Amino acid sequence: MSLNQPALGRPGLPRWLIERIWGLEHAFERARASGRVEDDTRLRIFFVLVLFSLFFITLAIGATRAAVFTDAARNIGMVAPVGASRADLVDRNGRMLAANLVHYGLYIDPREIWDQVETRRGLLQLLPDLDPARLERALRGHRRVFVLGALNPGDRNRVHALGLPGVSFEPEQHRVYPLGTTAAHIIGFSDSGGEGLAGAEAAFNEEIRSASVNGGTIPLSIDLRVQGALEDEIYKAVAEFTPRGAVGIVTDVQTGEILGMSSWPVFDPNKPGKSSEYSRTNRAAASVFEMGSTFKGFTVAIGLDSGVAAPDSKFDARFPYKLGYRTIHDYHAARKILSLVEVFQHSSNIGTAKLAESVGPERMSHYFNGLGLTSPAKVELLESARPLTPKVWNDDAVASTSFGHGINVSPLALSRAYGAVLNGGRLIPMTIRKLPEGAKVGGPRVMSEKTSFQMLSIMRANVTGGSGKSANVPGLSVGGKTGTGEKYDPAIRAYSHAKQVSSFAAIFPTTGGIDTKRYFVLVLLDEPHGTAKSAGYATGGWVAAPAAGRIIERIAPFLGVQRRNDQVQAIPVEEPVLADAAEAQ
Amino acid sequence: MNVFTRKIRGFRLLDLVGVSLLVFIILGVYLAKTLAGRERAEIASVERLIKTEKARIRLLQAEVAHLEQPGRIERLSVAYLKMESVPASREATAAQLADLARAGPAPKADAVSAVATMVDGTGAVPGVPPPPPAEARPAQMAEATQ
Repeated sequence: MSLNQPALGRPGLPRWLIERIWGLEHAFERARASGRVEDDTRLRIFFVLVLFSLFFITLAIGATRAAVFTDAARNIGMVAPVGASRADLVDRNGRMLAANLVHYGLYIDPREIWDQVETRRGLLQLLPDLDPARLERALRGHRRVFVLGALNPGDRNRVHALGLPGVSFEPEQHRVYPLGTTAAHIIGFSDSGGEGLAGAEAAFNEEIRSASVNGGTIPLSIDLRVQGALEDEIYKAVAEFTPRGAVGIVTDVQTGEILGMSSWPVFDPNKPGKSSEYSRTNRAAASVFEMGSTFKGFTVAIGLDSGVAAPDSKFDARFPYKLGYRTIHDYHAARKILSLVEVFQHSSNIGTAKLAESVGPERMSHYFNGLGLTSPAKVELLESARPLTPKVWNDDAVASTSFGHGINVSPLALSRAYGAVLNGGRLIPMTIRKLPEGAKVGGPRVMSEKTSFQMLSIMRANVTGGSGKSANVPGLSVGGKTGTGEKYDPAIRAYSHAKQVSSFAAIFPTTGGIDTKRYFVLVLLDEPHGTAKSAGYATGGWVAAPAAGRIIERIAPFLGVQRRNDQVQAIPVEEPVLADAAEAQ
Repeated sequence: MNVFTRKIRGFRLLDLVGVSLLVFIILGVYLAKTLAGRERAEIASVERLIKTEKARIRLLQAEVAHLEQPGRIERLSVAYLKMESVPASREATAAQLADLARAGPAPKADAVSAVATMVDGTGAVPGVPPPPPAEARPAQMAEATQ
């Protein structure tokens, strides 16, 4: 066999290889000649071959899979946008509120520029936001530098069309607020580095950044339809009564979700730097006000819950009431003995102060603490303001706070406390995050369910026959309380009769069981001006209650509240009150 | 003569099969890599397209969100369609529809359609409320569809 070696005449590697194979064959021949079992050796070789084959097959499958099915091919030819990636913010129905879009940064490399004059002229003509001084520095430099950011694809295409050498672009993330001023204060804004600075952008900063990795979205609690109606009516009230500022809030009292929040004046979060700090301030959360008579709702609720009074308890409001060093009047007073419900309807300061005195400082402060009125409103917004509260809870402080003076709270804190009074007595945190459908939110009980029902009836009575008549909406069973708080004027070192905070706190529907879905609406105007239409009055009943009624009428269908034949509550109403001028003090 | 001892032109069949298998596998890996490289380029190209389209879709979504601002829709619907909130007196349940139909037709609305306005050439519609304060269209979206 060895004589028949066909490859011996070949040179190099083939010859060496063939010699090795023949050597192996000879080994088998020798093994057979010596009588040893050769099949074992061949089997071993066979198995080695099989192992090699399996190894190569595995490699082949792995290589094919890696090439065809893995993510290795991603991002080839397209650089991932760098910078501050943030997830989209959407409303509770998934409508876009804020999004990161790919924009472009303009870079200039002066070493590649042929014609500086043409480059300068072309860029300045196409990009009005480009700072000429910065461009000049870049053109005179010696390295590639960033010149202008946040260019949209159209800008980039136009610059590309000029064919300027040395001018290039790099993709970057840019935060866009497509709704402009709509819901600006609750959405907030972020800086160019992707850090949230205000509103939900700041409140959920880390969460938004984390969610962007997976392309997720952060749903907020607001309903854009509710927000739109709320803003529209607030703007109309602003146009009519020209206040310094205005606030509108809509909340779900059972879950604490904020469905709409409006603060005027507004700003455009796309250009926050071009607005004043005054405009950027979220008055709903970051400003505190002496709310005036809307606080009487708390005082009456405390009186009922503590057992000090019942709806038919009588209070003598015929004469001014002297308490400590001050005398409390009822402007446009009824000058008669009033039941508790009438005290609420007439917005009687005398009756409320007498009720508060009966409750006593200790219990009043205890209830105020329980209702969250002495601490910042519990909500994710970092802007939530700390209230200004009496240093000492004495008789004078109790009398003042009973009708909303001597205590400054944010509209959000007021909304939260009213939520507790009207939802069955549970103080629940407010939230700007959408909660799952049917979510039950727990909270400490601060009032009884009975008190809550009584307050719903009393607030309803105030709209059917009290100062809140202009907020009534047929079939929606609206309840509410007007409020007009005079503002302290440092210039005269006293409360000003001309500067008021006028508000209306509304709840609807007031009918149904304890678990019925109810919505709280607050409209507040800061220093409104009376008009001929309002007979010169700028009180809550004239400026805020009508707006609240219109808001409720518009948002009820969005919230699934069906109109029903009005069911006037059982609480008797003796006579209607003309206006809420009585509450102004 | 079993498979381990059979020879073809002096080479054992087993060796030949083994070598052939190796050559086949090596060739297979080579071909797979070559073909996969081509596929990979195509996939990358398609993925680039998808990414571009996604970016474009997001731009369009932002544009839609901008155009569908509640305040803007309200102004347009009031200005061109004369729409307004339905007062309670105009609402009815499904059960009441039959009675309403028997009572006769409702008075005709005098709404002016946008098309009619354009055909008339009157341009602005009387009674258009002013836009809300400080409305601004984000400059970043001006070219969203380009």
